Amino acid sequence: MRRSLMLTLMTWSVVSVPGLAFGAEGGTGGWVGPFAVIAAGIGMGIASGLCGLGQGRATAGAVDAIARQPGAAARIQTAMIIGLALIESLALYVFVIAAILLFVQPVK
Amino acid sequence: MGAIEHPPIVTVPGVPDHVLYTWIVMAVLIGLSFAATRHLELVPRGVQNLMEVVLEQFLTLLDDVIGHAGRRYLPLIATLGLFILVSNLLGLIPGLIAPTGNLNTTAACALIVFITYHAIGARKVGLLPYLKHFAGPLLGAELFPNRVVDFAFKLILVPLFFVIEIFSHLARPLSLALRLFGNMAGGHILLAVMFLLTMGMVGWAFSGSLGAVGLGLPGALLLIAFTSWFLFPLKLLVAFLQAFIFCMLSMLYIAGAVQEAEHH
Repeated sequence: MRRSLMLTLMTWSVVSVPGLAFGAEGGTGGWVGPFAVIAAGIGMGIASGLCGLGQGRATAGAVDAIARQPGAAARIQTAMIIGLALIESLALYVFVIAAILLFVQPVK
Repeated sequence: MGAIEHPPIVTVPGVPDHVLYTWIVMAVLIGLSFAATRHLELVPRGVQNLMEVVLEQFLTLLDDVIGHAGRRYLPLIATLGLFILVSNLLGLIPGLIAPTGNLNTTAACALIVFITYHAIGARKVGLLPYLKHFAGPLLGAELFPNRVVDFAFKLILVPLFFVIEIFSHLARPLSLALRLFGNMAGGHILLAVMFLLTMGMVGWAFSGSLGAVGLGLPGALLLIAFTSWFLFPLKLLVAFLQAFIFCMLSMLYIAGAVQEAEHH
């Protein structure tokens, strides 16, 4: 009970303090900016974590296949690299969005 | 992204940085090609030998992916590949930027690929049969013995297929452009942040207090070692890999268009 209360308080303070600080500072309601930074960080973390899981599975499959059939290593490697690129592009979409949130800041 | 990165050392007022560095890449490639083909010899030496080896790699890839008809597309693929490779490598030299670290450059390359592979497919079979292919595999097939049910089913499914296919084709240049741009820009920002951290650590180490020296000096050395022995080789690998992947996917799209054309 106490732990969950602490956790809630900590989360609340982390989420609200930068927002409050910015809101007090900017006259034209600049409270989205800090949330954009948090969103960029969390989003990039989730995206790269899941992308790592996916790429790990793909690489594991490819290594397994090469171990069974060393003769087909070159073709398996090519297919693996293409697959890795396609998986990675999903994380890169999030990277682009994070970069937009951090550097372009469409919503102040 | 000016918050972290410095502008490159050479700039010309009025010209965007990525355009200027694209010109530099073009100059490098034109110079290499000129040097390679000025005195053509039967037994190649020097630059000619290098360029022949590089182009032979492209030819092998084209033969593997597209098949024997693939050698026609060597100019497109090899130009894209060499341009992207040299651009990526240019970004590794401190003080210079990679033209491919800008979305405009990569989007231009991706649009060229997009238009080209549709043009190749449409030229192979004509525009209407090529467009018909977007309706999916259902159009020619007989799904149900009852003709009315068959027609009704196709009436529902074919427009759906059409929309989905159009979207999946539109996603191709988007992902091509964003993948290259994201990898290059991300690597660039990562290196910039690492240098920033290293500079901070070094500054801390020279601040004078004993704890700062004891922690800051090993920290700075660790960061320098990490950057130069791990991140930099990783970026080198990524530079080659992204050029390879761009070429590979372009070839796959062209192969898809050519093979689609041959199906009908």
